[in-house]
Amino acid sequence: MIRHLFTLIWNRKRSNFLLIAEIVLSFFVVFVVGSLLLYNLNNYSQPLGYNYENVWEMSLDPGPDTVARREKIQMLMQRIKSLPGVVGVTRSSVNTPFAFSTMNTNVQYNGKQSPTSDFYKVDDEFGKLMNLNVTEGRWFDQRDNAAQRIPVVINQAFKDAVFPTEKPLGKILTEEKGTRQWQVVGVVETYRAGSDFSENAPAYFERRLDDTVRTMAGYDLPWLLIKVQPGQGAILEQKLVKEVLGVTKSWSVKTNTLEQNRISKLKVVLTPIVVLGIVCVFLILNVALGLFGVLWYNINQRRSEIGLRRALGATGLGIGGQFIGEMLVVTTLGVLVGVVLAVQFPLLGVFGVAPAVYGAAIAVAALLIYLLTAICAFHPSRLAAGIQPAVALREE
Amino acid sequence: MNATTAPSPFTASSMAPASAASVIQLADIEKVYQTSTVETLALNRVNLSINRGEFVSIMGPSGCGKSTLLSIMGLLDEPTSGTVVIDGRPVTSYSDRELAHLRNHKIGFVFQSYHLINDLSVLDNVELPLLYRKGVSGKERRQRAHAALDKVGLNARMSHFPSQLSGGQRQRVAIARALVGNPEIILADEPTGNLDSVMGEEIMDLLLTLNRRDNTTIVMVTHDEQQALKTERIIRFFDGSQVS
Repeated sequence: MIRHLFTLIWNRKRSNFLLIAEIVLSFFVVFVVGSLLLYNLNNYSQPLGYNYENVWEMSLDPGPDTVARREKIQMLMQRIKSLPGVVGVTRSSVNTPFAFSTMNTNVQYNGKQSPTSDFYKVDDEFGKLMNLNVTEGRWFDQRDNAAQRIPVVINQAFKDAVFPTEKPLGKILTEEKGTRQWQVVGVVETYRAGSDFSENAPAYFERRLDDTVRTMAGYDLPWLLIKVQPGQGAILEQKLVKEVLGVTKSWSVKTNTLEQNRISKLKVVLTPIVVLGIVCVFLILNVALGLFGVLWYNINQRRSEIGLRRALGATGLGIGGQFIGEMLVVTTLGVLVGVVLAVQFPLLGVFGVAPAVYGAAIAVAALLIYLLTAICAFHPSRLAAGIQPAVALREE
Repeated sequence: MNATTAPSPFTASSMAPASAASVIQLADIEKVYQTSTVETLALNRVNLSINRGEFVSIMGPSGCGKSTLLSIMGLLDEPTSGTVVIDGRPVTSYSDRELAHLRNHKIGFVFQSYHLINDLSVLDNVELPLLYRKGVSGKERRQRAHAALDKVGLNARMSHFPSQLSGGQRQRVAIARALVGNPEIILADEPTGNLDSVMGEEIMDLLLTLNRRDNTTIVMVTHDEQQALKTERIIRFFDGSQVS
């Protein structure tokens, strides 16, 4: 019977061509959306690498005030640290966790360029305050004061990309065109600052040197992360603002919790995914209705064939099974073409997504398309199964 | 199917001893087509027995119930009341599966409009009944289809598609398809109705040969008096009733 179904489909290839094309297209759309969802889901399931709970972000803008900025910052940090309810305070560049700012660059090791990597300018307190998991070496401390080169702590993804077979500690990284040099002093497990859905991409932390007027502008504005005790709220926030104004007089200040930033970022990241998902669902619904209509039409067109098959010994269930079988054969042909196209993505390393994600998306897309066609074929096939042979034969 | 309880010489218990040679028996068959407004009596208390190896013609004007009768004999349609007995066994309570099995093993159909599947080759069309028969391998199906086509003289056309054949050739393919499962009965509904006289004669000769050589029971609905006269018995219908 399977050979018979393939013969029928092959001999009707012209009329089945559009149906197969529709299945290929649907498969491909589901594959792309599935890849995106699985990629994000895979990232979501990975640890962020830090603890953002009870951490507040304070962004400061000195504006035109250029007088004793470094001293004001240091004093402010000391006063904030001494406030009741504050556990610790650290300095960061503007690309704090869940921020909409990013900073990235390429460095060189032994003449080879690293992948584009996010970098963060942080101080000695950052590792402890954010609860980073140092797996090799150490975090920045006073020992780095005498360092000849800028100390950096890399993440595991950076280590895997730049030092796949070497121990990274003590290794020197350089600028492609320039004289700046960095020395690796430690490795942290993971650091995904972008959002819950960010990839665990190569990144490194650079030890923040003392501020100068030049560096305290633009992307290098002084941003503080303040770890507070659980349950702190508006009262502490008021005290913080008061301290800022007390020390700096005219600097503008804005305070958010990292949890608030996380939710804002989630909205931005999830919106296109949700929109794409909704479009995909509508597309699949349209495809389903199309398949349903085509099958219904086919059955009406083939009533006399159904009557004939019943006359020759087919049961009603057999007729229903035949129509579902035909649909599955058509689906198999469409899915095969779709798989050939989809397999190019992992083979060519498109978008740098892990091959396993593409593999899973192919499997999910194939399963979904089979399920969809089986559901669409079910009701028309039942109608076909219920056609009375004598009635169908008389209709031609 | 609905069985009547009215006494009849054709009830299951009384029929078997009296009809050992009968291959099809119809007892008190009535068929009513009902719509929301009209009730049409297509067959009115038809009692009929077809003997094994017999070639019977059914004649009558259009709309008198000939094709309906053939559909009931072929288990394609259910009578409103009455009993159908095939090979001595009433099929009143048969399931869809059992009816399909009977149609596949015992009955071959030939239709006026051939009813070939245009997207299948001649060989694939002839193989169709064997596709619904368990335990027949692909190789055996091919062999039997070749043999059936050989009987109707169309072996040379087995790779052709129905659209590439003349009307007479198509009907030969349909006859080969009816023969491929070696059925005891062939039910032919105006098999020459769409053919010219020469082609019609050819098909009639083929049916006569099958009947005489293979002892196949044939029931043929026809409008053609000349062809009917070549068969062993003519049953005439008028307004749903058997008149001779």
